[in-house]
Amino acid sequence: MPDRVDPYDLLKSIVQLSNTSLPLPVKLDHMLQSISRASQSSRCLLIGTEKIIPNGFLDRLALEKKPLWVEEGSPFRRENVFPEEEDLLRPPFACFPLYDGTSSRGILYLSFPTGYRFSPQQMDLLFLVAEVMESTIRNDDFQQMVQRHEKRVKELSTLWELNKALLTTVNLERILHLTLTAITIGEGLKFNRAMLFLVNEKDRILEGAMAVGPDNAEEAGKAWASLSRRNGALSDLITQLDPEGHSDLNSVVKGIQIPLEQEQCILSRTVLEGRPFNTQLPQSKEGWLQTRCERGCHLGSEVGCYVGEHLSRDPRMYSFATVPLMGKGKVIGVVLVDNLYNQNPITEEDIHVLSMFANQAGLAIQNATLYRNLEEVHQELKETQTFLVHLEKMVALGEMSTTIAHEIKNPLTSIGGFARRLDRNFPEESQEKKYSQTIIKEVSRLEKILKDLLSYTRDESLIFKELDLRDVLEGSLSMVIEGIRSGGVQLVKEYAAEIPLIKGDSLQLKKSFFNLINNASQAMKERGTLFLRVFPFSRNGSPCVRVEVEDTGKGIDPENLHNIFNPFYSTKESSLGLGLAIVHQIIASHRGQIEVDNHPGTGVKFIITLPAFKKGKENCV
Amino acid sequence: MKKILVVDDEESIRFLYKEELEDEGYVVECAKDGEEAIEKVSVFKPDLISLDIKMPGMDGIETLKRIREKERQLPIVLCSAYGEYKQDLTTWASDAYIVKCADLTAFKSTIRRLLGLS
Repeated sequence: MPDRVDPYDLLKSIVQLSNTSLPLPVKLDHMLQSISRASQSSRCLLIGTEKIIPNGFLDRLALEKKPLWVEEGSPFRRENVFPEEEDLLRPPFACFPLYDGTSSRGILYLSFPTGYRFSPQQMDLLFLVAEVMESTIRNDDFQQMVQRHEKRVKELSTLWELNKALLTTVNLERILHLTLTAITIGEGLKFNRAMLFLVNEKDRILEGAMAVGPDNAEEAGKAWASLSRRNGALSDLITQLDPEGHSDLNSVVKGIQIPLEQEQCILSRTVLEGRPFNTQLPQSKEGWLQTRCERGCHLGSEVGCYVGEHLSRDPRMYSFATVPLMGKGKVIGVVLVDNLYNQNPITEEDIHVLSMFANQAGLAIQNATLYRNLEEVHQELKETQTFLVHLEKMVALGEMSTTIAHEIKNPLTSIGGFARRLDRNFPEESQEKKYSQTIIKEVSRLEKILKDLLSYTRDESLIFKELDLRDVLEGSLSMVIEGIRSGGVQLVKEYAAEIPLIKGDSLQLKKSFFNLINNASQAMKERGTLFLRVFPFSRNGSPCVRVEVEDTGKGIDPENLHNIFNPFYSTKESSLGLGLAIVHQIIASHRGQIEVDNHPGTGVKFIITLPAFKKGKENCV
Repeated sequence: MKKILVVDDEESIRFLYKEELEDEGYVVECAKDGEEAIEKVSVFKPDLISLDIKMPGMDGIETLKRIREKERQLPIVLCSAYGEYKQDLTTWASDAYIVKCADLTAFKSTIRRLLGLS
């Protein structure tokens, strides 16, 4: 090679090119041009590894890693030359394999005009140049790798920040909101909108749980502007954001229910197949999206007919992606994302990052759900415990009252008895007579209270007879009828013409109905309507008789409802609170049932069901 | 004159029953417990016994059993502050069961019936 070439100029330009920030193909192209100019070659090529034919001549050259130059007329080992390689192998030509220490990076190839002679200096120079080219390619690989890693590290740190935010709470609503915020926030996963659906295992449906995203483009613009003004760690930002108020999207999503069996719906499929779907819907000839939905709705609604119609105003442009939310070993829901407003394409990379986050969010949501269930059970347990403690108190109180009642009974008998003796000796109209009468009256009252108390705590022997409940009810009514008539209470009796007999203790049942009627008339405060009904009824196929006592009073405060049959529970100051407890016990001892149909503010209905008496089965009762 | 033995651990009740029954024209003797009652049955030879159930030591039901072993025909009225013993089959060995009450009308009429006076 003639010494027209200043080797330093060529090396300088190659090294300079190597250090520029131009894209690699441009860099290599410029390098080849410089080499070509300096070496006066007729062709100057970089044959990439992908262009080298396996097991061909050039492949062997690359493997041997040794440069080769052939002058016109010089012999060389023409082995395994493929027809495509023939054109390159016409001397004079030179080949410099690029080798980075572990693998081949291609071959620098030069061909020269006829009669060209190579000089050792020139070969050395080209060998050096080839090494610089090889290191340029290697550097670029490194740089790309570094960039890829940087991106991944950034993604991971974003995910880490988002997970940190998820760890701040166990409240389900909050977790859902955090998840969707993380997916939509600019510093997070950057989707325009995100919707979350949870699997309802019991009913096998997918239920819309929450959605985050602006309702229209204008709102989106405002939201993004305000978001860009914030600063601070991502996890702090997300947790500081308050759940937005009303959002149309949220309302729409919360109303969505999709049976998991509806397999053409992409949301169901995401759950059933447990994998993400990135749906860029193809357009049909008519400009509409082709639909695979058998129900033929117009957002080629793989999203599900209902969803598609509501999620995009122009379903022709609608692209979206779904990823499953993974709990422990199962899919617990789906996240649907779209870029409705900025129309950014959703890339596979986006889906990858979203899936990674969805796995974390899925676990957090599952934990929150479990925690909520735990809290509910805990609450129930606490209520049961309170109830049990209350019941225990009641039982203790009952036992104590019984003991006290017993102790009082004997002295009371003496007091009353002697009062009667005195009474007999006092002349009529005397002052003493009035005193003794008062003692007798008050003792009778006390004895009655004790009797009530003891009859609640002690089962008095019942005398069972065949009874017509209409007669029993009339009997109870005759004890209070005066009280009802004197007030403004209207009495409505609805007795069936024919009802079966029952077997029971007439006195006890009369007492029960009396208590109910008395309560009813007191509840109405002398104004209202008292309904009494008796009619045949069938319970589980066996004949019964039903008695209803209904009033139009103020009903029972729902807070007190569970207490009404408890002994010593009363809302009336003048009552011992045994009335309904006694009724309950009497009805139970008749194998009957008592139910309450309570309407706070408008009245209450007590429904008593007693088994009908069947001839030949007396022994049963 | 018919003789009645009143058995009760409460002094006031014994006093009341004695006064009331004497007014009715009976000869009344009292015992404060079951043992005293059994002794007095053979000495006093009553025509009827009013027997309290709940007493310290030997209770009314035990006393009833012991007396019945010797005196099969002697009318015995069980008196109790409560109705709870009504279901106890052993109380059926008595001729009547009365729940104590300040109003002694029912008590007195039961005695008259058992003595064949009404």
